[in-house]
Amino acid sequence: MNESHPMPSQVPPLTPTQGDDLSRQPSLWKRALLVALRGFLSFVGLALLLLLTFVVLRIPPLKAMQTLWEGAFGSAEEGHWYALSATLVQTTPLLLTSLSIVIAWRAGLFSIGAQGQLLIGALAATALARIGEHWPAVCLQAGMLAVGVTGGAIWGWIAGWLRTRRNVQEVISTIMLNYIAQYLVSWLILGILREKGGHLSESETLPGPVLFARLIPMAWSDGIQTSLHTGVLFALIAVPVIAVLLFRTPWGFELRVLGQNAEAARVARYPSNGLRLQAMTLSGALCGLAGVIELLGSSTGSLPASGFAYGVGFTAIPVALLGGLHPIGILFSSLFFGALTQGSRNLEQNAGVSSVLIYIIQAVAVLTVVGVRAWQARHTTGETE
Amino acid sequence: MPEAGDRAGAGSQPAAWTGPYAESPSPLFAMAGIVKQYGATRALDGVDFDVRTGEIHALLGENGAGKSTLMHILAGLTRSDAGEIRRLGRPVSIGSPIAARSLGIAMVHQHFTLVPAFTVAENLALDAPPPQTASLSKRLSARFRYSASEAAERALQRAAALGWQLDANVRTADLSVGTQQRVEIVKALATEARLLIFDEPTAVLSGDEISELFTVLRRLRDEGCAIILIAHKLAEILAVADRVTVLRLGERVASCTVAATNADQLAAWMMGSTLESLPAETEEGAGTQLPQDAAQSPPIGASHHFVADAIHVAGDRGEHTIRGVSLSVRGGEIFGIGGVDGNGQTALAEALVGLRVVTSGERTWNGGPFHPGSFPATAYIPQDRRQAGLAVTMTVGDNLLFDAVRSPDFRRGPLLKARPLRQLASNLIRMFDIRTPGLDYAVSALSGGNQQKIVVARALHANPEWIVAMNPTRGLDIHATRFVHTQLRQARARGAAIVVFSTDLDELFALSDRAAILSGGVLTEVASGSHKTTQIGLLLGGMEQKP
Amino acid sequence: MSVIGGAVLGTVTMATPLLLAALGENVVQKSGVVNVGLEGMMLTGALMAIIGTQWTNNPYLGVVVAAVAGAIIALLFGLFAVRLGANQVVVGVVVNLMALGLTGTLSRALYGKQQSFLTATPLPHLLWNQTLLTLLALVATPMLWWWLNRTRGGLELRACGEQPIAAEASGVPVLRVRLMAVLFGGMMAGIAGACLSVGDVPTFNEGMSAGRGFIALAIVTSGRWNPWGCLCAALIFGCMDQLGVQGQALGVNLPHDLLLALPYVVTLLILLSSSRFSQAPASLGRPYRRA
Repeated sequence: MNESHPMPSQVPPLTPTQGDDLSRQPSLWKRALLVALRGFLSFVGLALLLLLTFVVLRIPPLKAMQTLWEGAFGSAEEGHWYALSATLVQTTPLLLTSLSIVIAWRAGLFSIGAQGQLLIGALAATALARIGEHWPAVCLQAGMLAVGVTGGAIWGWIAGWLRTRRNVQEVISTIMLNYIAQYLVSWLILGILREKGGHLSESETLPGPVLFARLIPMAWSDGIQTSLHTGVLFALIAVPVIAVLLFRTPWGFELRVLGQNAEAARVARYPSNGLRLQAMTLSGALCGLAGVIELLGSSTGSLPASGFAYGVGFTAIPVALLGGLHPIGILFSSLFFGALTQGSRNLEQNAGVSSVLIYIIQAVAVLTVVGVRAWQARHTTGETE
Repeated sequence: MPEAGDRAGAGSQPAAWTGPYAESPSPLFAMAGIVKQYGATRALDGVDFDVRTGEIHALLGENGAGKSTLMHILAGLTRSDAGEIRRLGRPVSIGSPIAARSLGIAMVHQHFTLVPAFTVAENLALDAPPPQTASLSKRLSARFRYSASEAAERALQRAAALGWQLDANVRTADLSVGTQQRVEIVKALATEARLLIFDEPTAVLSGDEISELFTVLRRLRDEGCAIILIAHKLAEILAVADRVTVLRLGERVASCTVAATNADQLAAWMMGSTLESLPAETEEGAGTQLPQDAAQSPPIGASHHFVADAIHVAGDRGEHTIRGVSLSVRGGEIFGIGGVDGNGQTALAEALVGLRVVTSGERTWNGGPFHPGSFPATAYIPQDRRQAGLAVTMTVGDNLLFDAVRSPDFRRGPLLKARPLRQLASNLIRMFDIRTPGLDYAVSALSGGNQQKIVVARALHANPEWIVAMNPTRGLDIHATRFVHTQLRQARARGAAIVVFSTDLDELFALSDRAAILSGGVLTEVASGSHKTTQIGLLLGGMEQKP
Repeated sequence: MSVIGGAVLGTVTMATPLLLAALGENVVQKSGVVNVGLEGMMLTGALMAIIGTQWTNNPYLGVVVAAVAGAIIALLFGLFAVRLGANQVVVGVVVNLMALGLTGTLSRALYGKQQSFLTATPLPHLLWNQTLLTLLALVATPMLWWWLNRTRGGLELRACGEQPIAAEASGVPVLRVRLMAVLFGGMMAGIAGACLSVGDVPTFNEGMSAGRGFIALAIVTSGRWNPWGCLCAALIFGCMDQLGVQGQALGVNLPHDLLLALPYVVTLLILLSSSRFSQAPASLGRPYRRA
């Protein structure tokens, strides 16, 4: 602490009624309560939205909600583990990709490249698997993870470079990179990385020990193999890691300031371009990790020529926005989306409702969040001079 | 130097007129008792003002005197809190620029409302009222075939009538500033205005262009327009205006014909005779040396010395904003730079802290290399806090810590030391009396004054050796202003070299050991002494000091 | 028909949807708004064109339905991005995702099992194997250029995109003009989507626009916000698209997938080299809030 400041007692006392016109804010407890209330209300709001959608589509709402819930979390009769594990499997890559969106968007970079970065990660890992076919399983698994993360990181770095050195808007460049990644995958998978038999449009299956272990013993789920794999641990660990990175490190602090006001960051002498490049690289790395995890968590570990982890990179954006671009918020919103996806499958099977409603919910929810924030921004009083 | 032109009808005006507006022969527009309050500040406090047809009425005052505010009210950009406006004796309400236009008022702004990418014709056409052609078919065809040049025809003719050759097809951004201003003026004229308000028109012009402008102003006056000229350059006012009204701190100080006054008198009115009698700030207890301070932190060293040698700095668009400025500041000294906004202050300030490169010239610190940020430890208080000083969506605590997070004192490995940082932030809040319920409120919820305190607190707390501050007390009430001044003086006592840019001359002279005026990209140092105020006024007014 | 001739016509066909969408976006961006949701509007248009064609048994009416659908999505975008002043990129991305999901699941619901959209009649070929939409695009190019540069409406719109404050001071209702532009852009995107789905063999696949909405954005930039420039750029990209589909038949010796990736690579390269956004409307992307 700096001792050279005058102690408060030596400052001439200031009369409390000087013109500063501060709006009164409630105490800390009240604010915490308000935040919790707002969170609760948004979930209630989402639930109401679901109910409303059912009513509009002329589906018995309560039954539909129950079907949704059971699809996501299981029921007393059928046991919970199967559904729960399916939900968590849905959530895992979503969690990682939306964390990557958080990093990029918090830096002020509107990257939409999660899908491409994910694919490149999976592709790189697959390429390594081909090279290291005869490596010990542990080495191969570790190597695939490392290569996947690196591949995704490079893919993100490219967009970052294009932005910082050539002022190419990342919105367009990341989309282009998505498509290029998609075609790279199909070219290589149908080409040199194709499975040995040459019939299937996918890569060679990986030996069992390389793949992620299943977490839930079969005894718990009535002898049915559940799909929840150790990859979920990576995702769950990533949440606090990213939270600490964003909110407890100097790098994260500077990044957040950059995203809020690039000019202020410049005046504070923050290394703006470096931060942007690093953010895109880290963002890509997280998606690359998501890609490898999806690969290693699947039952065969083979990368198909198309349709791998379909839509995960894009769903990450509404998840990130609904989570308030905050890692903790994303934990909940990705779980919500995972549950919604799982549950709506159940709804489709048992009640014949098409899963279009997920997209309606997504869009309405996100637009509401975006709209409310924009409306608030219009009405802040700010300067009075 | 523009010469006094002939004044048609000068003889018919009464001399030394200082009475209330009710006594004057019916003016075109008359404002009475105008009050405008911005939060805690009274920008205008019961101001009377009027203007007659066929006269050029200058409105004089330094920054913050209220001239722009008064004219914004007249031009419909803002509404007054009290007072009334009359046109030819009848009360009117001016709620919007369109309403002002319908009353025949047009304003030529300091920051032009031109579209830079448009040609001159397109800019003029944008403002041109739709043609009043009678036939339907002509109006329909006008929708499908519209020529900007045709629509701008009338405005271009007006320009020609004034002796200006405007090339209709040049991009406005490519024009010289003087020519752009002509386009802006012609735009205003084309609205058939009877009252033209000019906001600091000569601020962007050079000598010849100024004379030409004045010729135009006189011609317009002779044609029967009423012209209000917001200005601060005394020589120009004396040269072209018929009457002048002086505002100071939101009040009308004086009003008379130009014939009845002179530069010194105007300067004195503008500065106010109270400059010398300002309650001495240095007598505050907090301003003198505190024994604890001296013991706990030895002064940095009076050996600090910043020198800028003939530096040239480019403006935002690459123009030559700062031309050959040299200055030298020592540790333990406050160097004040005054001057009206728009004379290159931001460019110079940023160059002084290394946020902007100098296109030529050198900066040295203690005779050696100048690496602001690390060597010397630098603090910078920017001009626009919302744009460059704060992240208004982040918390007060976070905003206070912009620089602290970069210091190794607050890091433990890769992480930040959260509690010491929060402690620092709350200490700063207490010490600078930042009115906020706590650390975790968004800065946007605070008043402008408190926001400014955040910026100041952040800059000054880490014991910087080199401080550059732009309008550091902007938006602060008088106690907070004095507090900041105390802080600056203490930094000086600790041996820091300080440069303060201020448009408030009272502040400048309360704080500075040495001062200079920045005008037109050139720095002129001001000698201390008894004729100080007049000299300053003259310098601000763009005139050379008399030997 | 010679191989080259066929390739040229194929280029024009592939360029048409790109050009239509780009022309619409050109107008939108000239008014100061970035519409990233172009892709979603195209996709919606594609689906609604098929549905409309089936309902009415008339592909032209299907195109009209597509145009309306695109405009409706654009209205949603405009409400948030223009009226409310929310971040234009965020709203655009969300609109895209919504449209992607909605059209995908809707098409699966309607056409999943049977290939029933084969009962839709495609747009008839008029001249040189081109449909009316190509003609529309080629006529729209000079018309839009004319409207932007030689009419009062175009002048006002351009002022909104360059210096909205000046426009407002001259009495131009900036928000209303921008909203109208956005609706127009959505309409054009809808028509572009119709081009994709009922232009040749009536078909709809999830995500069939395949990033063309984004390529259209790149076309506007590389065409320097000039309809004629958009035409040139669209032809180049159409050529790339054509190479992707027919490249190997034309003797180009690259793997099929890499040819398909060509338009996207070329987009990046073009954007890389034309990095100076000097021609962009000065207020592009900045929400305008009336003071």
